[in-house]
Amino acid sequence: MFCFSENLRYICTIKPNNMKKLLLLIFLILSTSNIFAYDFIHPMGGRAAAMGGSSVASQGLWALQNNPAGMANLEKMSLGLYYENRWLLPETAYKCGAFALPTKFGTLGLSFNQFGSSKYNENKIGLAYAKDFGRYLQIGLQLDYLLLKIGNDYGSFSAVTFELGIQSQVTDKLTLGTYIFNPVNFSFEQTLNHEKLPIVMRFGLAYKFTKDFIGQCEIEKDTEREGVSLRGGLEFEAFKSFYIRAGVQTNPGILSFGIGYGIRFAQINVAAQLHNELGASVQVGMIFSLGK
Amino acid sequence: MKRLVIIILSLFCFSFAKAQIAIDTLSTEALNQLLIEQIERLAEDSDDDADFEDLLDNYIFFSENPVNLNSDEVMQLVELRLLSVFQYEEIQKYRRYYGDFMFLEELEMVEGFDEQTLAIIKPVVCIGNDESKDKLTFNKLARYGKHQIVGRYEQILERQQGYAPVDDSALLAKPNSRYLGSPQKYQLKYTYNYRNKVRAGFVLEKDAGEMFFTDKVSDTIRALLGSNYQRGFDFAGLHLYAKDLGIVKAAVIGDYQLAYGQGLTLWSGMSFGKAGAGSSVMKQGRGITPKGSASEYSYMRGAAVTLGGGPFSGTVFYSNRKIDANVSVADSLDEAELVSSLQETGYHRTIGEIQDRHAIRQQVVGGHLAYAIAHFEVGYTLHHTWLSVPLQLKPSHYNQFYFQGQQLTDQGLDFKYVKGKFAVFGEAAMSHNPDVKAPEPVEGPTQTQAGFNYVESSISTSSTTLGFAGLVGMTVKPAGYLNFTLLYRNYGKAYQNLLGNAFGEGSRNQGQRGVYLGVEAAPAPYWNLLAYVDQFQYTWLTSQVNAPSNGHDYYLRVSHSFSRRANAYLQIRSKTKMKNSTDAMVFSHYPILYTKNSVRFNINYQIGKDFHLSNKAEYAHYHNEDGTNEHGYFLCQDIAYKPESKPFSLSFRYTLFDAKDYNARIYAYESDVLYSFSVPALYGKGMRIYLLGKWKPFSNLTLYARIGRTIYSDRDEIGSDLTLIEGNHKTDLKVEMIWKL
Repeated sequence: MFCFSENLRYICTIKPNNMKKLLLLIFLILSTSNIFAYDFIHPMGGRAAAMGGSSVASQGLWALQNNPAGMANLEKMSLGLYYENRWLLPETAYKCGAFALPTKFGTLGLSFNQFGSSKYNENKIGLAYAKDFGRYLQIGLQLDYLLLKIGNDYGSFSAVTFELGIQSQVTDKLTLGTYIFNPVNFSFEQTLNHEKLPIVMRFGLAYKFTKDFIGQCEIEKDTEREGVSLRGGLEFEAFKSFYIRAGVQTNPGILSFGIGYGIRFAQINVAAQLHNELGASVQVGMIFSLGK
Repeated sequence: MKRLVIIILSLFCFSFAKAQIAIDTLSTEALNQLLIEQIERLAEDSDDDADFEDLLDNYIFFSENPVNLNSDEVMQLVELRLLSVFQYEEIQKYRRYYGDFMFLEELEMVEGFDEQTLAIIKPVVCIGNDESKDKLTFNKLARYGKHQIVGRYEQILERQQGYAPVDDSALLAKPNSRYLGSPQKYQLKYTYNYRNKVRAGFVLEKDAGEMFFTDKVSDTIRALLGSNYQRGFDFAGLHLYAKDLGIVKAAVIGDYQLAYGQGLTLWSGMSFGKAGAGSSVMKQGRGITPKGSASEYSYMRGAAVTLGGGPFSGTVFYSNRKIDANVSVADSLDEAELVSSLQETGYHRTIGEIQDRHAIRQQVVGGHLAYAIAHFEVGYTLHHTWLSVPLQLKPSHYNQFYFQGQQLTDQGLDFKYVKGKFAVFGEAAMSHNPDVKAPEPVEGPTQTQAGFNYVESSISTSSTTLGFAGLVGMTVKPAGYLNFTLLYRNYGKAYQNLLGNAFGEGSRNQGQRGVYLGVEAAPAPYWNLLAYVDQFQYTWLTSQVNAPSNGHDYYLRVSHSFSRRANAYLQIRSKTKMKNSTDAMVFSHYPILYTKNSVRFNINYQIGKDFHLSNKAEYAHYHNEDGTNEHGYFLCQDIAYKPESKPFSLSFRYTLFDAKDYNARIYAYESDVLYSFSVPALYGKGMRIYLLGKWKPFSNLTLYARIGRTIYSDRDEIGSDLTLIEGNHKTDLKVEMIWKL
């Protein structure tokens, strides 16, 4: 939870029609102090968003952010863009870009994400590397540079940390994954209230019930938040390359659903998340596979 | 052509041998897993820092000295809960029909042996001829005996308050504010084993805080301690054991454990309590076992012998050892000594603890007679305890029926009948304490609440020298994949026994009755289910419970094997008991209900041949009628690298935990150096990591080292009083060397 007073100050510059919702958001932040955490570690990608945020055992380009081990088996050079309009407020938008390059030494990746507006934003730049060790084990690492900017001359604060992930295809049907952000508890060099950078640990599994039906679930512990978050999602390939997805998340309680469609070199995933008090969020992600 | 056949054959043999090794590593994992779960359950159930060294010793002993499948030794696996009694019966049946086992693989054909059981028991059994009739010669003992030396050092690296420097006057003013010794713990253990038939050994131990050769104290302190002043190893034990020597079935001199019947009359070592599967609620007394561990409480020291012939066997034993107690002079006129409490920790670190060291002598003499035919067994146990100084507890309502005085006699009758799909068992016991007097009036809390009226009304009838206790149970197995166990126990409030350890809630077999119903099932291939309900009532007050109380314990565990390389389980437990309200607004403390719920998910999987990974997540919730609500969370990742072809292995764990208070604490078993265990109770908020390394530079030498660190994010000091550490981290180090000859 980041400095309320600063947040309140920048609220005053926001358009009146969004004011009510934002005040509700602030109220919830103050009452539960649970919904709002740093977004450096927010799961990325339209697929994860539609499946309740569960992503620790999935593969693909967005694994770069969700569990870097998952991009070890990427076949083609890929570029991804992702936009999340949380609670339909422009001030809480979440933008990401990612690029991954499979080489014979393993997959290299570069990611960027930004949350917030010009008055308050969180930025992360990551350099990732993932490698598979045989069919059964993938390991991924991402080095991060984090930058927190607060408007009205409060300045900006930076930190350096890393994330680690492993994934394992234990059987043809079962994949397990673990991910830890900031395992050795680095923190910001200096902040107003000595905010701690959290340690975040996730683990979970993906289970392929049939060729076209996948279930995922995971648990997340963020050391700067009360309790744990449980996430689960289902994906069904209704037609060739057309996916229907749904998911659920606790703490905060969110229901989500979405669709995805892929053509030869591009894939688009759209998701919507519903929170009981804060309303809907919309996520759109696109992945382009480059080269042959 | 012939050469080709030989090549193909040898290739086949080679691949077969490799496959065999792979099975073995998997098996050890399965056995380990079982042990981990048992110890975790025991840790959760025991009220204080229990010592599992004895238990661990037994498991490791059998994994290194497998029992012969073609002998009665297999019964010892039932006693360790690695096999159910029905599985034991099936093995015997198989041997009767088809003769002795020639290959371990034959076990797969025995009814009731699923893949999981096989994985667990394969490392602890071997195929051999029945050697129980072999003649012992000195030559054989010298040539084929196996020797082992284990040396271990351990220490908390941060300085605890108990080791801070202090001057004499300050220490004399507060004598128990410092440990007199150094913070290192040392243990040295030697064992000898000849085909499980002759065993011998000794153990030396110095706990952290106890005085070692190099530790110094001032003359004043030394004078204060008087004859209790002693440096060096604080604990020393010795044993010499032999079995199957003609009519002498077993004999021991030195330290040993005794376990008979259902444990109600005599069961001196570790007992499983409720941990484990339903069908193993029926105990299998192991009779005499040598004690090689350094556990300092609850064992026998002296001699014991079991003689047997035909269906009869008889044991006599004598134990004479000094125990720790708080002795005071009760009456200044005749200078009679009294003991106000017995100390059970085995620690002698502070002035107070050293003064209590070996303060009184406990002598026990007794015996056991057994008659066993095909499916039926009956036994009678009798023992008598003397204390050199009478025990007189500080009078209180709850301990009114506890053992006091100087002498105690216990006797019990146990039986067991196992046939086919049915097992029934039980034990009845009686205690006689000639020193029981009518209770004196007790100064206690104001007795205005309803609960105390009960106390008042029953006090007059409560003085009796005799106490009774009994338990009876049965297990039925209607189908191979399903069994039910029902057990009823009723332990009278006046039943006293210093050496019993029967099934029950908590460790005291006194003033308790209850019913346990358990079920074990394999509803589908690769799925296992274990569940039980235990309802119990305390018929008298207990510590911190000011009225007769009750409670229940629900347990469910569902496990699934995804493949031979991956298995997972989900465990849900809910336990409700009563405890005095701590609400400061009430005048007297009456009991209220409290509940502890926990949910745990655990998954183990193997990657390739060399990597073993595991994840665990646990949630604990504590609440009581005062309105206290506490939550605890725990997440961890284990990575173990155990290459088959290399002489080393590494294990690593990363843990996050977040439990506001001790009530929502979470116990997590950690891999440790061999013969040692670590089950920290984690609470507060923070992370914990450890790294364990094993290196085998030569075939007969193994080295272990383990370093662990807990880092708290919610506090700047850890622990309290003597164990207080200034700082937010606590680091533990262990180094061990095992040398085999």
